[in-house]
Amino acid sequence: MKTLIVEIIEPKRLGELVTVSKEFCDTPDIVALGAGDVPGVYNKAWQTEETISANLVPAIAELIQKEEYQVVLFSASTVGAGLAGPVAAKLSASVVSEVIGIEPDLVVRRPMYGGKAVATYKITATPAILTIRRKYFEPAELEGTTAAETLTIAEPLVSLIAEKQEKSEGVPLEDAEVVVSGGRGMGGPDNFSMLQEMAEILKGAVGASRGAVDEGWAAPTLQIGQTGKIVAPGVYFAVGISGASQHLAGIANAKCVVAINKDEEANIFKRARFGIIADYKKIMPALNNVLREE
Amino acid sequence: MHIAVLAKVVPDYEVPAGDFELSDNRAHSRYTRMMGLYDENAIETGVQLKEKYSASLTIISYGAEDDIPVLRKAIAMGAEKLVLVTGQSDDASVIAANLKMAIDNLGDVDLILAGQQSADMDRGVVHGTLAEMLGLTFIPQVSKIESENGGWKISQLTETGSRDLQFNGKGVFSITSIPENVPRIPAVRAIFAAKKKPVEKVAEVESNAMGIEEVSVEIPTMDSVCEFLPVEDVGETVKTLLTKLREERYL
Amino acid sequence: MGRIPYWNISYGILIDAFAIPFVALFVYGMYRWWKLIRQGRARIRPDFPGKLGPIYLRALFTKGILGTKIYKKPYTGIAHGCLFWGMVLLFIGTALVFLNVLFGVPVFNGIFNRWFMSFTLDLAGLAALGGLLFLLIRRGFFSPERLTVPKERNGFISIVILLGLILVTGFLAEAARIAYNGTDPGAFVGNWLAQNTPLAHLAAGSITPDVIAGTWFPPLFGDTQGWLVFHQYMWWMHGLLALAFIAYIPYSPLVHVVLAPVNAALADPLPGPKMGVMDFSSFEDEEAEDTPPLGAAKLTDFTYKRLIDYTTCLWCGRCHEVCPAAQTGKTLSPKGVMVTLAEYLQQGKLEDESLVDAVSSDAVFSCTTCAACMEACPVCINQPKTIMKLRQHLIMERSEIPELMGKAHSSLELRQHPFFGTGAGQKDWRKDLEVPIFEAGKTEYLLWIGCSVTYEERAQKIAREMVNILDHAGVSYGILEEARCTGDPAKQMGNEFLFNELAEQNIEEFSELGVKKIITLCPHCYNSFVRHYSKLGGVYEVTPHSVFIKVLMESGKLNLTKSTKTICYHDPCYLGRRNNILDEPREVVSSIGELVEMPRNRRESFCCGGGGGNYWAEEEGTRINQVRTREALDTNADVIATACPFCLLMITDGSKKFTEEQKAFDIAELVSMQLKDD
Repeated sequence: MKTLIVEIIEPKRLGELVTVSKEFCDTPDIVALGAGDVPGVYNKAWQTEETISANLVPAIAELIQKEEYQVVLFSASTVGAGLAGPVAAKLSASVVSEVIGIEPDLVVRRPMYGGKAVATYKITATPAILTIRRKYFEPAELEGTTAAETLTIAEPLVSLIAEKQEKSEGVPLEDAEVVVSGGRGMGGPDNFSMLQEMAEILKGAVGASRGAVDEGWAAPTLQIGQTGKIVAPGVYFAVGISGASQHLAGIANAKCVVAINKDEEANIFKRARFGIIADYKKIMPALNNVLREE
Repeated sequence: MHIAVLAKVVPDYEVPAGDFELSDNRAHSRYTRMMGLYDENAIETGVQLKEKYSASLTIISYGAEDDIPVLRKAIAMGAEKLVLVTGQSDDASVIAANLKMAIDNLGDVDLILAGQQSADMDRGVVHGTLAEMLGLTFIPQVSKIESENGGWKISQLTETGSRDLQFNGKGVFSITSIPENVPRIPAVRAIFAAKKKPVEKVAEVESNAMGIEEVSVEIPTMDSVCEFLPVEDVGETVKTLLTKLREERYL
Repeated sequence: MGRIPYWNISYGILIDAFAIPFVALFVYGMYRWWKLIRQGRARIRPDFPGKLGPIYLRALFTKGILGTKIYKKPYTGIAHGCLFWGMVLLFIGTALVFLNVLFGVPVFNGIFNRWFMSFTLDLAGLAALGGLLFLLIRRGFFSPERLTVPKERNGFISIVILLGLILVTGFLAEAARIAYNGTDPGAFVGNWLAQNTPLAHLAAGSITPDVIAGTWFPPLFGDTQGWLVFHQYMWWMHGLLALAFIAYIPYSPLVHVVLAPVNAALADPLPGPKMGVMDFSSFEDEEAEDTPPLGAAKLTDFTYKRLIDYTTCLWCGRCHEVCPAAQTGKTLSPKGVMVTLAEYLQQGKLEDESLVDAVSSDAVFSCTTCAACMEACPVCINQPKTIMKLRQHLIMERSEIPELMGKAHSSLELRQHPFFGTGAGQKDWRKDLEVPIFEAGKTEYLLWIGCSVTYEERAQKIAREMVNILDHAGVSYGILEEARCTGDPAKQMGNEFLFNELAEQNIEEFSELGVKKIITLCPHCYNSFVRHYSKLGGVYEVTPHSVFIKVLMESGKLNLTKSTKTICYHDPCYLGRRNNILDEPREVVSSIGELVEMPRNRRESFCCGGGGGNYWAEEEGTRINQVRTREALDTNADVIATACPFCLLMITDGSKKFTEEQKAFDIAELVSMQLKDD
């Protein structure tokens, strides 16, 4: 099936889309957004520096129609979310967003109800427009570059006034994909540096339970739980946290909880996907060592 | 200025995973119905704009008549009226076409706001589709809106930070949640007043669905049982942990 | 020989005439207060239409006139008692003199003169003087914090000076009279002063009163004549100051002499703040032009009783001392609230809506509704009701609520329970447990589970153990298929409208099922059912689980073994102070272990911090639950028992700071542990 991927030039994101495209074709075409070389090998490549979805819709829709693409892939990102609906409407295409699984014959899976259910769809009419959820597909290694033709964009409707990058030092707790959290079981403020180190390596953030905040070992802004921040990371490391329900309320949407606690009766193990019954003072340095080596 | 906010009534989105069950491929009907999470942020944003620019505010929903009492809350937050297109489709294109009809009927809408995604389907497609059907500009993940020199100045959240955008004309914005648009608690007087405000019920129009067949909906088997890792060799333990986390794509 | 009234005094009758303008001043002062208070809202009582409300005679007599509550602080209480009762007796004595002069009532003869007019009145004067001295020294030199935080009420020093002068001049006049006329049997103070002070000079007594008549400002103390003039001065000063005292009452904190009994008489003696339920029908009514204010934004939104509260309040700070919020560094002080409202009232700012902001939203929402303040108040002020009225205004009119409490509130609104983000489903608490569902016409008792027990993991155990107990005793009981909340958290957060909605929904279901008897696990549910549901048409026989267990025990249906554990019982506010259920839980505890009391127990119990919606609070300052848990742990009891899921959760959390052991248990858990298998 003739496949087009559209994404900002960012190797990880493009790599994921290339991986997905292999389900439909050998080599996809690409519309690369942003400046610079287009990494990877594509059948045909177009490029534009425009990254505001509203300005891209007409040109991309036109291209899909002209080239008769059967499958169009976006990331489930701000740009992808801005393109999928309008482009689909323009072409009367079928659109499935936040795809997490692909099966043969245009059968796709996506979560709903906040991940509490997963729906499987069969797409019966092309073009099929899919937005792919990040971090579900292994990004393909992109080798070499492809020379791109300029995609002509009509007079932009929306203009960019300013772009602000989030400060790289420290990810906001709520947005962090990895949260390393300490509780009363930490025994004191000193060892929070172990958590900090791990969070830095994994580009995550440090959190704390109410107990640790109460003791003054961590700043109140770090408190996670019913009273505090609600987080939804991919992995939540609960170190020396007993797992009071108020705390669990704050991590209800964490995808995977790793609990490190001496007390095997600790409630946190009920919520955890992986548990390590041991003194964190042994585990954390070992974890940091392995992570640093990598 | 006339602002329309799209709102969808959904089953309780906070039902704990352990208590979640399906009937006919949808959340069981026993769950309380309520306004979508981001929809409330969109309504709050709409009310704030209304207050700032003396605009009028209409809530538009596509759904069942039974949802009207829930939607009254949106009115109580500060809207003037409610338009409900009665229908049951889950198809993004059908929903968008019906919302378009409601907006066309209103005639003078300048700005359409919607939550960034519904709290049941989690799709985030309807508003973009609607924008295109209306021939309007669509901007997703909007956090702040200001009216400036007859146009709009908008802040949009992106993966890496935020962008300030500017454009003239009518638009459809999907609203994300920020501390400034935490939905207000409607005052009791407003709740009573909302009971007296007009609710316009419109019958659904025929529209083509997308070429998508729902094959199945399943509850993923969550291994809630904790896997305890052996701790004889700490170095081995942490390696096993990291491997497993990566295998299951958590890291 | 009888005493001669107005001895040595010319035109003594004038003092009675002077009484008229002074009493007029008094009446005018009181009228001014009444004019202020009248701007509040009259509470319409169907049984007393148009009146101020019924008068509770017993409360008037005990709390109002006897002032029983002031003796909870024994030293201050006794000092105040000496002063007050001393002054009352002296007033009676003066009135008798008056009756003697006008109507010749024979009070100066024989035994009555000796033992009452002389001895008792001297004793009363001495007691009053002693009490006054104690209070002066305490306020002046050892002023407790409660008197000065956030500020001290003005006017006490002038009262002390005034009363002191009245008493001293009275004694001196008496002593002068005795010195001249010879000892007066029984008047021990006057006699002593007449003999042991320079007044003894007067005893020479050869000069008749005629000699000194008409001489103003003679040289004093030089001769008998001087002493006689001294007596005249004292007598007139005493009389005029006493009248000034009466006139001064409405213009000083002394107004409490009149208003404290009034306040006591008007205070419904039912324990707790008695919030009642609100009627929203005028909001539904299309025709209604005037809708009542929801809660209170300004003084005129309060009832007469509240405005009398603010006028009566002496700023003694006893409420401040017992308030869990004030004692742990929160913005709230119940005394502070009274002070702010009293000042607004005094300044005539009755329509000023800055009132709520002057009290501050933080303070208003810090109240745990534990009612310790009103329990401590010696003059029957209902502080929680004032605070709750302000809270009602904030949430129902202004949509203002602290963020976290707001989340719980929203959850309550959306899903009929406040436990947002709970990991528990409705049926989780009864997993692997067979619990009968209430069947109309078959089941006797509805076992009401409530929200915290359903959705908080630690509290779920209460229901499981109660089920075990009920099964053991063979009680006919059942639960509702769907878990529900009574609406109490909504009410405590100030949203009466949401409470009514939830309550009406429950009442409707109870009616359909024919529920008549209810067992509650949570005192908040219990309080809602008995105090508020009844006013909305839902009248049931409601028994808290602690009482139900006690009844089962007494009827021999529970086969219990007594353990050797020492058990410290924490009184939940909504069971103890607010509903006077104090003994039953203790009897249950005593039958399964050895009861230990905390220093603050029964009606003086200290809140766990979880009431008033403050279970969902981002607490500033010291945590209330830790303070209470510390107090419990200091008894060295093996376990801490309570009878409220919120208390259980708060104390469980509080104990984590001090111990890793699980210390806190619900009474049902402890009983269930001691059940003997048959």
